[in-house]
Amino acid sequence: MGMTSRIECIFFSEFHPTLGPKITYQVPEEYISRELFDTVQVYIITKPELQNKLITVTAMGKKLIGCPVCIEHKKYSRNALLFNLGLVCDAQTKTCALEPIVKKLSGYLTTLELESGFISNEESKQKLLPIMSTLLEELNATGACTLPIDESNTIHLKLIEQRKDPQIVQEYDVPVFTQSKDHFIKSQWDLTTQQILSYIDGFRHIQKISAEADVELNLVRIANSFYLVLIVGCVFLPSLQYSNVYCTTPKVQSLIDDKSIQEECLTYVTKQGQKRASLRDVFQLYCGLTPGTTVRDLCSRYSQQLQRVDERRLIQFGLMKSLIRRLQKYPVKVIRDERSRPPRLYTGCHSYDEICCKTGMSYKELDERLENDPNIIVCWK
Amino acid sequence: MMFNPELAEDRKPMYRHSQSTLYKNGDNTRPISVILVSSGSRGNKLLFRYPFQRVAECTSSLAAKQRSPYALNTAGDVLEDQDGDSREQTPLTDEQLVAGFSDIILATILATKSDMCGKKFELKIDNVRFVGHPTLLQHPHIIQVSKTDPSPKREMPTMILFSVVFALRANADPSVISCMHNLSRRIAIALQHEERRCQYLTREAKLMLAVQDEITTMTETDGSPQSPFRQILPKCKLARDLKEAYDSLCTTGVVRLHINNWLEVSFCLPHKIHRTGGNHIPPEALERSLKAIRPYHALLLLDSEKALLSQLPLDCSPAMVRLIKTCSAVKNLQQLAQDADLALLQIFQIAAHLVYWGKAIIIYPLCENNVYMLSPHANICLYSPLAEQFAQQFPGHDLPSMLAKFSLPVSLAEFRNPLEAPVQEAQLIQMVVWMLQHRLLIQLHTYVCLLVPPSEDEPGLRDEDPPLAARVGGRSLSTPSALSFGSPTSSDDMTLTSPSMDNSSAELLPGGDSPLNKRMTETLLASLSEHERQVILNIPAAQSPEDLRMFARLLHYFRGHHHLEEIMYNENMRRSQLKTLFDKFRSVLVVTNHEDPIISIFQSPME
Repeated sequence: MGMTSRIECIFFSEFHPTLGPKITYQVPEEYISRELFDTVQVYIITKPELQNKLITVTAMGKKLIGCPVCIEHKKYSRNALLFNLGLVCDAQTKTCALEPIVKKLSGYLTTLELESGFISNEESKQKLLPIMSTLLEELNATGACTLPIDESNTIHLKLIEQRKDPQIVQEYDVPVFTQSKDHFIKSQWDLTTQQILSYIDGFRHIQKISAEADVELNLVRIANSFYLVLIVGCVFLPSLQYSNVYCTTPKVQSLIDDKSIQEECLTYVTKQGQKRASLRDVFQLYCGLTPGTTVRDLCSRYSQQLQRVDERRLIQFGLMKSLIRRLQKYPVKVIRDERSRPPRLYTGCHSYDEICCKTGMSYKELDERLENDPNIIVCWK
Repeated sequence: MMFNPELAEDRKPMYRHSQSTLYKNGDNTRPISVILVSSGSRGNKLLFRYPFQRVAECTSSLAAKQRSPYALNTAGDVLEDQDGDSREQTPLTDEQLVAGFSDIILATILATKSDMCGKKFELKIDNVRFVGHPTLLQHPHIIQVSKTDPSPKREMPTMILFSVVFALRANADPSVISCMHNLSRRIAIALQHEERRCQYLTREAKLMLAVQDEITTMTETDGSPQSPFRQILPKCKLARDLKEAYDSLCTTGVVRLHINNWLEVSFCLPHKIHRTGGNHIPPEALERSLKAIRPYHALLLLDSEKALLSQLPLDCSPAMVRLIKTCSAVKNLQQLAQDADLALLQIFQIAAHLVYWGKAIIIYPLCENNVYMLSPHANICLYSPLAEQFAQQFPGHDLPSMLAKFSLPVSLAEFRNPLEAPVQEAQLIQMVVWMLQHRLLIQLHTYVCLLVPPSEDEPGLRDEDPPLAARVGGRSLSTPSALSFGSPTSSDDMTLTSPSMDNSSAELLPGGDSPLNKRMTETLLASLSEHERQVILNIPAAQSPEDLRMFARLLHYFRGHHHLEEIMYNENMRRSQLKTLFDKFRSVLVVTNHEDPIISIFQSPME
């Protein structure tokens, strides 16, 4: 559990029929000052319009997250029970991961109250205090907490770190496992994923996998996106060919500056069974990637450096860490003749990769076709 | 080999169309609503909000709304999803998000207690984030009551505090939230001033509340719902100002108000202004870049001189006008200072200001040795609006053909054709300037790194020497000044110390093999390991004491962070000298070309 979501205090606040809004319990004790509560109480015990909304207010260097509940019934004095179980963190904390927990807790307590009057009964309400203590301790320690409340109710809570949206995967992207796929028991997976798993070798792109594994393209894409990225640890890279051209980015210097990236790199790119590649060789190889130089050119020019380095893994690592970037060719039909049809693919918006994939042509075929056309110019970027 | 998958996730697919990100970014940088609230003797009041709620929807179709489980209810009942799932199933539109909050509830939650005044106010409710700067108008007891006045105290409604609040989507970037808070604070300062001077705010508030009361009575009598705020607009200048602020933030990102036709409040949202390729340049990156401006950089205006001058306010500084008139893409900042007769410090300040406001970018001054290449984010589409503009500006030339010439890195010198008329060359320079202004080109620089071949006779797992970068510490060459540069929209002044000129290493010592020189060389080489020293000394070129001395003197640049032009500037050396040196010592140096990461954010912000 990182420092990012540390909970400083858990409080239980309610509307007392005579005293008004107050904090009934808080752990640790006395954490929320009288002053702080006065300032924020309007956001804790709220007007009916704000019930069941996740409210986060920042004041006096603290962030309070709560979800006010209002249960209306004749049996309550003032015909309604208002309460709020909330968390307090430091104002700088990122609290997104805590929000579902607050929501869940508010739901639990509401259920408990509706079923057995857990809150309105003074005796059972006291059980809240040890519950809150345990919550605070366990959530901060492990990010999860399971608490039985009574014979029939148990609370399960877990902090889930926010994930970025899964990336959009294109047909010509190549899935590369970042962990050994042998780690995972095949039978746990659905049929589609099992089918394609063996075709993932770090060099076949999705369209190829789809064709060879005889699985419909969309399914493959979905399987790839969700299962592999989230569970296995897999990234998608553009396909690698020896005719590809790359160039260095300013980040290539991190290979020199950052010892951990250095270590990772040298281990990853060294050929199997060989002595570890030297930093100088690897750096020279990366710097040898320049616009106009294909991977093939690199191999012939730097054959000495490549004795201990696997060039395919070199490129992969470089792409993954953004040390290098790929330069793509974009054909543009510079219109000369008014009568000819406007270009559909040769507009500068589609790279060679895309065009080859869409039309089924090979790189070489496309090259030959375009080289003979005087109206077509090519931009690299 | 195992990877850390989290690190790998940082990689972005190279040619993914960033439409979804564009949409998301556009969504998150604009406010959903602007709200003015006050608190005083009449209690908490919502004075004005914009955009207006569509009142007809709210009241008459309430029943219809209740059918949908996703609509925000305005009646206050709790609508629970069947499974108790509280997650949002469909993203609500911006209007729906805030429209769901009634005027009264907004007044309650946004008009804070007085002890929250003078500080940033931030409140998040489900998917909406409210940010403002509640400001105290006066101490409650300051109201003077004449003790000798026998007449009963007249109840003068007094305003104690007010707040201009912006509602944003909850997942807006923290820097956007910070900027909105800034704007709220600036408006508050102006309003506070005008209130003290002539009770401006109280008067406007009175007008607003009067209209609201009027409309409420009307609604009660004819029953036809109307938005009171729509009626307020023509009557209240402040309401119009707030509406303008909102509209500007949503469109250009540049806000310019005249509170009470007197005080100017100006503000820009960098996220809207500095956009390239569908992404915005984060303000922190912008600031980092501006802190690293050197005297050898140049300022490139993004508008024509005329257009820029016409945008300046009447009371702008004459220094700025002089700078704009004198600046040019081929002139570096030092020369600009001389030509405009201004201190270099001032030039830095004004330049940074222009850059921040999106009126200029920093480049390396144009010269024939500059090497340019197409920016990875350049739009090279045949039908792009840029292509059209280019054709208009340079008749007879088309943009894609021109761009194709920069497919591979090319220096301007290579375009030189002695048979061409000089006017062609001038036009080429204009085209290059145009392309730089439109973020189509990046400039490549040469960087050098010292990497000595490892010795062969080391056993198994050798502990590699930490690279030179880690060892040669101390000397900070990258920034010339302590540019303490908060956002210029904050009230902090930009404090700059003058760019230190003591970045060059040892003065040019007289030539020859004097013992002083020898010792100097030894000292400089002392930071190297024994092995490295040996290898270097074994290089044939090292036998020449002058060459060795030059090498040793420049050693600290060979970390891959200083490009050729910087070394030339700092050490007052010619390009040919340096290139020869690199060639002589090529067995221990690795050379690479890439863009200058500091200023390349203007061309290619994606990191």
